[in-house]
Amino acid sequence: MNELLERFKQAIIAGDADASAGLAEEIRAAAEAKPDDIFEYLSAAMDVVGGKYETGEYFIPEMLRSAEAVEKAMAVLEPYMFEHKHEQSGVVVMGTVKGDIHNIGKNIIVSALRADGYEVHDLGVNVSTDKFIDKIREVEPDLLMLSAFTTSTKPALIDIIRRLEEEGLRDRVKVISGGASHSAELAREVGVDGFASDVKSSLAVTRRLMGR
Amino acid sequence: MNSRERVLAVLAGRTPDTVPIIPVLDGYYAPRVIDRPNDECFLDGACMAEALAAAFDRFGYDGALAEMGLGSEPNVLGCPVEVEGHDVPLVVGTVVDEPADIDRIGVPDPWADGKMEPVERLVELVGSRGVVLGSVRSPFEYAATVRGLYEFMTDFYRDPRFVQELIEAVKPATVAVGRALAAAGADAIVLKDSFASCSMISPEHYLEFAWPAEAEAIGELKSFAPVILHICRNSMPILAEMARTGADALEIDSPVDLARAREAAGSGVILKGNIDAAEVIGKGTAADVAAAVKEAMEAARGAGGFILSTGDSIPVFAPEENIKALVEAGREYGKYEN
Ligand code: B12
Repeated sequence: MNELLERFKQAIIAGDADASAGLAEEIRAAAEAKPDDIFEYLSAAMDVVGGKYETGEYFIPEMLRSAEAVEKAMAVLEPYMFEHKHEQSGVVVMGTVKGDIHNIGKNIIVSALRADGYEVHDLGVNVSTDKFIDKIREVEPDLLMLSAFTTSTKPALIDIIRRLEEEGLRDRVKVISGGASHSAELAREVGVDGFASDVKSSLAVTRRLMGR
Repeated sequence: MNSRERVLAVLAGRTPDTVPIIPVLDGYYAPRVIDRPNDECFLDGACMAEALAAAFDRFGYDGALAEMGLGSEPNVLGCPVEVEGHDVPLVVGTVVDEPADIDRIGVPDPWADGKMEPVERLVELVGSRGVVLGSVRSPFEYAATVRGLYEFMTDFYRDPRFVQELIEAVKPATVAVGRALAAAGADAIVLKDSFASCSMISPEHYLEFAWPAEAEAIGELKSFAPVILHICRNSMPILAEMARTGADALEIDSPVDLARAREAAGSGVILKGNIDAAEVIGKGTAADVAAAVKEAMEAARGAGGFILSTGDSIPVFAPEENIKALVEAGREYGKYEN
């Protein structure tokens, strides 16, 4: 089984969506792998992909190709995970904040989180505070993950935190922000619980806040 | 020499009195110079032209960048654009969601709805003293815009033919807008190909998808006016290819070393760059700006033509002192002795 999972991981890294979907079928048919193991290989694959981007071996299209390979595989494996009573890693609400339309980095993190076993509700880009709040009430997520790429989105981040407090939701959800121009300073100023600016640290910070 | 003569001298391959200075100060920054919100100026071309001219006068650089206003180029191809308050205009929708939609792409009329008026107005306001640059997206960038960048880049592996056909379909738009800019009085055309950067795509993909249409468009645009090719962030690995497009000038961003850029691009092309717009002009001090200008001048003033510039758009939060410092230091370190 580990050999199959390893091939699956390599298909994701290579960004071969047909292969990853095919191998996902095999994994499902064999019905041996534990969901936890599958997620371990999947998230390890996205870790490698993120690393290749950081070192300049991959460019954006190559990362997107791997993200698509994850999505295709997850479409096959989701029912399997469900049947095997997999305990989710957690529920996430994610989106790019109001006034910002960058979606590439957000989408990659969405795929990486799915690969790590999270149920992710992706609200898209230019998302208003109201929309975040409504979704949080609806699905009661463990994590609220906010993408914000331009400096001018600071007020939007502050607004979301303020509304969470006003609505009595702040202690029910951990908030993580991220994006190109993020810094520890910004994260502290707006009052989020964690931040990250690449795939590896994003997975690490979510695991830490989920106590995994 | 006045500003206009200085820039035209460089564009004609002659040595000016001092290195010309044309920062990328565009419609995102200019409205604050006349205390107006961005949305007002993007919706009202006269306001935008006034703002860009006011910035030209206040800072004393040598050329102004024209804006076509809301509904700038993405809108000529039907992309919905929104702008609110001091924000920048956002392209909020796409036009092409599948290959069949390519049929929707026609040759746009850049003169429709008064879109060229702000360009003509800016030429009236500054054209006798300085130059006016008009900018247009490359076919590659138009294609990414009408499709949505995320989907477009996913298509590279999913459906490369779709990518090629889409780029082919929008090429006439680049040429039409370029022709209109020159007819409205622009002295040179900036061809923007930001997504072709090695900060986004591999040099191989640049050659496969972006370069052919870029080179072809430049061939046509050059019959209207000199062409400045803009590729921001890291363009180091593709500089020789960029020079090979036939562009008159290459706009170089701060991650690229100017001396190495000159070596890679050869002496036949003008370089324009490369002060860091976000970090140095946006967040640095006037002394940081002066130091960066001195370094750029030492690296690039010598061989071939040079235009001092920022590497990319000046962000809205940049202090005015830093733009003043850019021009002051540019004058101090830019003189040619003859
Ligand atoms: C592509 C791009 C665009 C495209 C976006 C298309 C799209 N569909 O996304 C377009 C052209 C539309 C665009 C527009 C603008 N952009 Co832009 N853009 C970029 C660029 C070049 C690349 C972004 C990208 O996709 N990177 C690749 C991905 C993989 O990396 P990433 O986004 O950083 O995401 C990673 C991490 O940040 C993290 N992450 C992302 N989200 C989250 C969320 C959480 C919770 C976590 C934990 C982690 C995480 O994980 C990702 C995976 O590695 C960056 C430059 C750069 N170096 O980042 C500028 C950049 C982000 N843009 C910038 C600007 C200023 C703009 C504009 C204002 C430009 C203008 N003058 O018009 C407009 C604004 C539009 C708006 N209001 O949203 C600035 C922001 C500067 C600042 N501090 O404010 C940047 C940094 C460029 C610069 N140096 O000036 N842009």
